[in-house]
This record gives sequence, structure tokens and C-alpha cells, in this order.
Amino acid sequence: MMVLETLLYIIAYPPLWQVIVIGLLGSFLTAMIAIWFERKAAARVQRRIGPYWASPRLGGFLNLVADMIRYILQEVIIPRTVDKVPFVLAPVAAFVVSIMPIAFVPLSPYEKFWPVPDMQYSLLIALAITTVPPLLAVIGGWASNNKFAVIGSLRESYVITAYELIFVIAVLSAAPTFLTLNVLHIVEAQSPFMWLAFLNPIAFLAAFLAVLMSTSAFPFEIPESEHEVVAGPYTEYSGILYALNMGGAYVRRFIYAVLISLVFLGGWAPYVPPSEGPLFAIIVPSIIVAVKALIVVLAMSFLRAVYGRYRLDQALDSAWRLVLPLALIGLGWGIALGLIM
Amino acid sequence: MPPRVAVKNLKKGGGLFEGVKSNIEALIVGIKYFVDPKRMTLLYPKEYPEHRPGYRGFIVLKKDVCISCAACARVCPSAAMKMVRVTEADPREPGKARQKQYPVINYQRCIFCGYCVDVCPVEALYHLPFHDITYESLADMFLTLEAFQKEPLRPVEKEGSPVVYEFDESAGLVKREKKGGA
Repeated sequence: MMVLETLLYIIAYPPLWQVIVIGLLGSFLTAMIAIWFERKAAARVQRRIGPYWASPRLGGFLNLVADMIRYILQEVIIPRTVDKVPFVLAPVAAFVVSIMPIAFVPLSPYEKFWPVPDMQYSLLIALAITTVPPLLAVIGGWASNNKFAVIGSLRESYVITAYELIFVIAVLSAAPTFLTLNVLHIVEAQSPFMWLAFLNPIAFLAAFLAVLMSTSAFPFEIPESEHEVVAGPYTEYSGILYALNMGGAYVRRFIYAVLISLVFLGGWAPYVPPSEGPLFAIIVPSIIVAVKALIVVLAMSFLRAVYGRYRLDQALDSAWRLVLPLALIGLGWGIALGLIM
Repeated sequence: MPPRVAVKNLKKGGGLFEGVKSNIEALIVGIKYFVDPKRMTLLYPKEYPEHRPGYRGFIVLKKDVCISCAACARVCPSAAMKMVRVTEADPREPGKARQKQYPVINYQRCIFCGYCVDVCPVEALYHLPFHDITYESLADMFLTLEAFQKEPLRPVEKEGSPVVYEFDESAGLVKREKKGGA
């Protein structure tokens, strides 16, 4: 019993649990489930079967494992013409920085389970860090010294400029509603079912669309559209570096989804964590948050089956003329809610 | 002067309401198919298509009927069929040998167009309703005269079950299990 308790405390050690288990492993698992679901859902809607023969009982899930092993074992080719240091560092740094925002949000109401001691400005800090990885993707594309990569980077920067602003505005609309920038207070104010997604659906929709576009989720993969620019910023990458780039997009989507589930979907809302014991104070609430985030990611994956890819001009047009006003309306609604409440 | 082309008056995309409405309709269609998929994919070794009798599949030779006219070899568009000269016992004059030509087929080249069957004046060639071309080596795909007279076996018949594609009023072409077993 003593051993088990100690082991639990070691696992629940905040940096280990929150950053490595939920952040790294969780996003890894989410990426695999999301890719699998994306392929299966698109196949169902298009009257196909999708991945199947690798493991018929699991619906072909092991196909993803095989893909992953292939990426890991593949030869990494670094062309002679690239700028080597940024070329290699950019995807690695982007992957690491993508996970980092999760270290600055609370997944438990108790201070001893936080990776950082103070959550006063957690919403702002997490939002600020989510804006870094696209820059690294642009750096990697520029370092590739390839016209497709440069065009892809340019598209990426266009899309990011438009949609990250929308995401930041939409998520910050929670601040005037609850008069705080502390994610913990925002989560606790939503308990048990006063979720901001119900109170302020417009901002929620804007945030959802912004994540969909800015992480180039599959139907909207404008920067790396295969038919136009070979693989966008990732044209020259191969093997594990390409996997980091491609998985990085899913990791970013998962981290965005964690932020959305904390701010809009009430975090660990219906559940009220008791103060003692690591199992019920940190592990259960963080898993609730991760599952909510997974559902958000899967909802995004499903849209692949329904929508075609937008052109760059259509995406930017809808961003500046439709979704940005939507986000601003959401912010106004948030301020109005704050005045009423 | 070329004839005037009537310019189609394309309806311009409706307003915001129209856009929202069409997006929601697309989502509903997607969810409908997601919940109730009518799949068409053939899981080949477990299922195989059951074709109707007129299907142009494997070609089999009736050697006794053949009159060696070589029309099949000449009409073959992909040059899959060839005539071979064999020496055999003459049925009309016992004890004597005769030389005769018979067609053989190369399934590496055959496109299953069925022209040879159509052109044959004595109906010495006929189709089977399947063409599961699975051979262990490429050399096996050149059928000898003896192999060309035998009906080839269907490799999936033991483990698979037959399916048919039927037209459904609402869903279009759908895959159904064939009734009454194999």
C-alpha cells in the first residue's frame, strides 16, 4: 500500500504528470487516435472501409503504429542545399514548444499539483506560447531553400496571421466575463454546468474555427496542400523530422483543444476534486480535461469528411470578413455577460 | 464565324443565411452517412463478386470443336492469343499422325475483351464468369494447350462468400450478400 501511494505521488509530480504524461503522451495518443478517426470517418462517409487489414478487430488501428515505426526507421535525408542548423532544429523546437502551453495551465485546483507556482496570468501566458510554433515552421520552410517550402511558409504565415488573432480574441472573451485571467478561476466559475460554450457560443465557434484553420487541420491544410505545393514548408523533410512536423500540427491542435476545454467546456467541471490524494486531486480531473480535448479534436477530424479544401484567398476572406467579426461579437458578448453577472 | 455560345447565368452565392444553411445541410449529410454507412468496398479474400453468366472472365478452349482457323489469334487486340502446332493422332485415319494448330493464351497480356470468343465460328471458346488472375509465377500465366482446356479454379471460393452489387433507390449502388449462399 505504501509503495503504491509513493508511486502515485511520483507519477503525480506536476512536471512529470502534466507535461510528460498529459502533454507528451496524451498528445501523442491523441494524434494517433485523431489520424485513425480521420481516416475511418472519411471512409465511412465516402462509403469505403478505411484502414482494416492491419488489425481487423481494432478497426485497423495498428496501421497507425506501423506508420509510426516506418517514420522512425526511415532514413533522414538532409539535402546539401539547406541551411542545416535551422533545418534540423526547427521541427524539434516546434514540437517541444507546441507542448509547452500545457505547463502553464492548471489541471487541478490545488497549488501543490501545479507545475508553476502562480496561475495569476495563466491564460495570457498559455496563449502567448501557442503563437510561437508557427514561426518555427516558417523558419524550417525558409531554411529548406526550396520554392515549394517558401511558398508554403508564406501561406502558413498568412493563415496564422489571420486565425491566431481570432483565436486569441475568442479565448480572451472569457476574461471580461469572469473578470480574471486566471484559468483556475475561469474553470471554477463554470462549475458545474455554466460552461462558457453555452453562455457565449459565438466565441466558442470562432475559437473552434480558428483552431481548425491555424493548425491546418485536414480539409483546410492550405499551407501544405499536396496538389499545389508539394508538402508546403515540409517539402524537404523526411523520416522522423517529417513525422515531428506532421505530428506537431496534431500536438498543437490537442493543446489548443485543452485550452478550449478549460476555458469554454468547463475544464474538469462536473467533477469537484477533493483535496487529498493525488489520484482524485490531479489524475482524474486532468484525464477529464484530456478527454474533453480529445472530443474536440475528433469533432475537428470529422469535418475532413464533409468539407473540401479552401483556397488561400477564400480562407483569408472568410477569416477577415466573417470569423474575425464573429470573434469580436463574441468578445462584446463576453463583456456584456461580465456586466450582467 | 463560330456559333454564339449562350452564357450560362450562374446564380451568385447567396448571403450569409444561405451559406450557414448550406453548411449545416452538408454537416447533416455527413453525419447521416457516418451513422449509417452503405459501404461498397470489396474485402477481397473474404468476399468476391458474383457476376452474371454473360461476364467476360477466363477463357476456356474446347479442343475437339476447334477447326484451327486462327481467327481468335488474328482478332486478339493485345496479341495474347497464339496458335501452336501440335502433332496428334488423326481420328479419321487410324494409325496415322496429323499436324494441327490450336490457340493458347497468355494471361499476362489478355485484357478480357472477349473478341476471340465472339469471333470463333464454331464456338470452341467460352467465358467463365470470373477472372481472379492469381498465379505463383509469371511463367504460369502462359497457359499450355492442356491448361487452356481446363476450367481454372477460383482461389477465394473456399474462404470467401459471394456478394452482388445491386441498385438501391435511395443509396445508389450497394453491396449485398448473395442470397442462398455460394
